[in-house]
Amino acid sequence: MAVLQTPAGERAARGLDQTPGRPGRRSRKTPYQGSARGFIAPGVFLVAVLLYLPLLWTTFLSFTEYNGLGDPAWVGFDNYVEMFGDPAFVGALMNTLLWVAGTLVIPVGVGLALALLTWNLPGGIWLRLPFLIPYAISGIGVGVIWSFILSANGALDQALAVFGVTDPPRWLVDAPLNTVVMIFASSWQGVGVNALLFTIGLQSIPKEPLEAARVDGATGIRLFGSILWPMLRPLTAVVVGLSIVASLKTFDIVLSMTKGGPGRASETLALTMYRETFVNSDYGLGSAIAVFLSVVTLIASVLYLRQQLSQKHEM
Amino acid sequence: MKSRNIAAAGIAAFTTAALLLTGCSGGGGGNSGDNGDKAAATTGTLDFYTDKAAWEPDFDELNATSKDAVDISLNTTGYSDAAQYDAFIKQSFRTQKSPGLFTWHTGDSLKQLVDENLVAETTDLWSKAIDEGWATEDLRDEYTFDGKQYCVPMNIAYWVMYYNKNIFQEQGIDVPTTWKELDAAAAKLKDAGVTPYYQTSILFTFQWFQQLVAGTDPELYKGLSTGEVKYTDPEIVDIMNIWLDEQKKGWFSDAGSTTDPAVGLKQGDFAMINFGSFFNGSLDGAGMVSGEDYGMFVIPAVNADLDTTPVAVESGPLCVAENSKQKDLGLAYSEWWMSPDAQTAWNAARGDVAFNPKATVKDPMLAELGKTVADDKHTLFTRYFEATPTPILTVALEQFGAFNANPGDPMPFLEAIQAEADKYWAEQK
Repeated sequence: MAVLQTPAGERAARGLDQTPGRPGRRSRKTPYQGSARGFIAPGVFLVAVLLYLPLLWTTFLSFTEYNGLGDPAWVGFDNYVEMFGDPAFVGALMNTLLWVAGTLVIPVGVGLALALLTWNLPGGIWLRLPFLIPYAISGIGVGVIWSFILSANGALDQALAVFGVTDPPRWLVDAPLNTVVMIFASSWQGVGVNALLFTIGLQSIPKEPLEAARVDGATGIRLFGSILWPMLRPLTAVVVGLSIVASLKTFDIVLSMTKGGPGRASETLALTMYRETFVNSDYGLGSAIAVFLSVVTLIASVLYLRQQLSQKHEM
Repeated sequence: MKSRNIAAAGIAAFTTAALLLTGCSGGGGGNSGDNGDKAAATTGTLDFYTDKAAWEPDFDELNATSKDAVDISLNTTGYSDAAQYDAFIKQSFRTQKSPGLFTWHTGDSLKQLVDENLVAETTDLWSKAIDEGWATEDLRDEYTFDGKQYCVPMNIAYWVMYYNKNIFQEQGIDVPTTWKELDAAAAKLKDAGVTPYYQTSILFTFQWFQQLVAGTDPELYKGLSTGEVKYTDPEIVDIMNIWLDEQKKGWFSDAGSTTDPAVGLKQGDFAMINFGSFFNGSLDGAGMVSGEDYGMFVIPAVNADLDTTPVAVESGPLCVAENSKQKDLGLAYSEWWMSPDAQTAWNAARGDVAFNPKATVKDPMLAELGKTVADDKHTLFTRYFEATPTPILTVALEQFGAFNANPGDPMPFLEAIQAEADKYWAEQK
């Protein structure tokens, strides 16, 4: 390790000793190439075994019929045809999109609002802190807590009864209300950390442009729209990007609150994948859904980040 | 210098790989005791896996008896998530750690394992059990594939109606012996402001359908499990309309309630619950006393013209993996498990009906139930959960759950189940 820290070692490791115009020397091994490969081998091995291999195996399984026993049987695109032809899959897709929209509007929106309203206040941390506490709970834990609150004759219904509401909505039974209330439950957990991230973003904005804008008379919405929002964009891109990815793979809270029911009314794509793979033992169809979900997540992330990056360059 | 670096890197890579491989291969922990050169051992510690994690203390309690009798103790690993457990067991068949003993499900799930030659044959054990009068031939049929037996019964449960005795007493209701009397009891309870029946929208959503269909025409019920009857056939639709009519009368509890059903029966959220006879354990755990606070009765047939009253029965198997290093040990334990001594001890530990007629059942009410269903006025039929192929079952449980949550025209629910059934039976041809 000490050897690589020397300037010569660094140059060698980065290939800087290779002189332009002498291509013959490019293929020549540097003194440390062998040992460098030895050091990165465990990492490469782990990535290959834990990430690439499962990806390839899942993709292969998506073209087979396999119940977890015996050998997979090749069926081509049958699983994909079946997947897109299943109304329940379309329902799960719609629910997942509702999750994406909901978790963008509430946890990100409210998180930003909370950060904006408190970042300049003396003692603002004490206003943000309670919102952070639920972040310490797992998704399953959040689901269990909110199940107590939202189930029939649960805490919320009993509280409403005090105010004379004797026939409250069936929060976890009727669709799409059940998905909406689960988004709220998830938001309860997610607002705090988003507020924290936005606060960090706000605190990192240089004071000079802010003061200049204020001197020019910009306050409130004008200050936010012209100065704060554009300068927060890099952080917003990360927060929104993470939120999209997290919402596309929503699983734990739905599993613990409704198990995707009643029927399949509140199922998300991740739950459909779990259901087909581990409940129905249809590993092929489950893998096809996994591949679809991965591709959607990848496309959404790439499109979003590309758009954000291009906007950044335009600035 | 260079060789020293390469040597250092090589050692680093080798050590990491060695650690990884050690970690991968050592996943089963150090309790597999009798593996390797003790492959044919028939005494010792047997690794046992089950999806009934809550029963682990009961299995542990049984160890003292099994140790004395056959010198075998169970090292129990309980899973609380059924889907995770099933995946684990299926994966284990591909490894050196396939279990010496594990719980599974009868019906389609067991057939899958048998078709792949993954479970050890137990024909000899069953022959002995039948000869000794330890098990009935009806029960053996559940474990028979192409004339051979696989696995042994871990437990047996009859699906009956549990009721809150205090509520029945307060309302002056006697235990119903006909479907009409049951309807009258439900109507009387509803008039008195008590919800007659429990229902849920998750998992245990099938039992009323099962009861209505089998109680109307057992052959119709059997036809559903073989694909000869469609869920959309008029007879099934008529039966669903009976259920819908009862739903409209408000005879069922809130399907969205998450209250423990045992607690619900205790606190009078509903007066009756159709459940397996293993429910005694839950009710006892909720603080109710068998025979005093709660009772049970065989649900009368919907069709009064039936010669016998059908009673749903379920049996969960104990299996031994064919390629397990503890195969002989697992089979030795299985043989002992079927004996009256083992079943009496198990019954004392767990509190359940016994599949072995010669075992002593601790709870008098369960003992009585065992005698009742064995007489010539009752016929046992396989529970819907085991009688229905898994893909159809999954959809049916969801659709019945949706029906319970939002009762309405039964056709859309039945059509959804039939669509899956059509797909499944087409693949079987």
